[in-house]
Amino acid sequence: MIDPEAFVKFIDENYQFICGVPCSYFKEMLIYLETYESKNELDHFLATREDEAIALASGVALSGKPALVYMQNSGLGNIGDALTSLAQLYKLPMLILVSYRGLEPDKDFPEHSVMGDVTESLLEAMKIPYSELTVDNWEVDMKNAMKKTVEASSPVVLLVRLGVLNQ
Amino acid sequence: MKGIEVIFALKNLIDENDVIVSSNGNISREVFHTLPRPQVYLRGSMGLPVPVGLGLAQANPDKRIIVITGDGNFLMGLGSIVTSAFYKPKNLKILILDNAQYYTTGGQQTVSSAINYSEFLESFKIGFSRSKKASPDLIEEDLTEFLNYDAFSALHLTIQASKENLANIPWHPEEIAEKIIARLTK
Repeated sequence: MIDPEAFVKFIDENYQFICGVPCSYFKEMLIYLETYESKNELDHFLATREDEAIALASGVALSGKPALVYMQNSGLGNIGDALTSLAQLYKLPMLILVSYRGLEPDKDFPEHSVMGDVTESLLEAMKIPYSELTVDNWEVDMKNAMKKTVEASSPVVLLVRLGVLNQ
Repeated sequence: MKGIEVIFALKNLIDENDVIVSSNGNISREVFHTLPRPQVYLRGSMGLPVPVGLGLAQANPDKRIIVITGDGNFLMGLGSIVTSAFYKPKNLKILILDNAQYYTTGGQQTVSSAINYSEFLESFKIGFSRSKKASPDLIEEDLTEFLNYDAFSALHLTIQASKENLANIPWHPEEIAEKIIARLTK
């Protein structure tokens, strides 16, 4: 697991805004975030739905500021219009951490299996650049993905597997 | 009153410190053709003008963000009034123009009449919330009180269903975003 303190500090140094819908794969990060005393006025907004989170981030991006979103991959099913008719259409940079449910460790959770199978092909079909967040190289992964949001002026996804941001 | 008449009544009540988020379809077109430019004209994003406004309110504490949404759009993202009421940024104003129809798509009925907006908005305890029929004699007074109230505010106005023959917004969304980002980062 990535050290949640180091990860949240990194977020605080690079963002003033984070929002999303939780997943158990983000548990340790979210526990740390909840009690974290921001040095740079990081605001954490809780969204009711994943498309609401994309819209919140779009309001921040329309203000010329970086925005970070987190959600479970089940939420990819909820954000199709928020991406295609808002974040992508208006070319708004934002980084989206998406938990990669439905792989082998989730074999006893059939509710994730179909989305797990199609997560990458769905992102490809929607032309959303994506890569993975890794434990060993997370800071480089984050920096590269952040750079990509600006270069492409687009939402960019980092897929987060079991054990990367939770124990 | 027609929706465009309510929007026109905002003209003398707003200045460069105000940022309007208009919901897709007729309302965006009416705002584009009636009020100073640029504003955040949403083209799609059905159900999302309220959270776009909430994000703008968070990122721009010195600006007043006015979301103008139709009833169909508001209903599609109904959870966002709850999120907004939880954070209740005092620089966020939500104006719901309710003609009980999806007017942009041809006047199909919405289920908006199932809500008692007075009680619904009142339940959030957000400082200013009101539901009434828009009337020409009182509109300036109502909008002034709504906009100047020093707290998160929501105003629901029932309006007459009407569609003006307005030209489409000529700016591509990328251009809308560029102009707004330039306005908010200068």
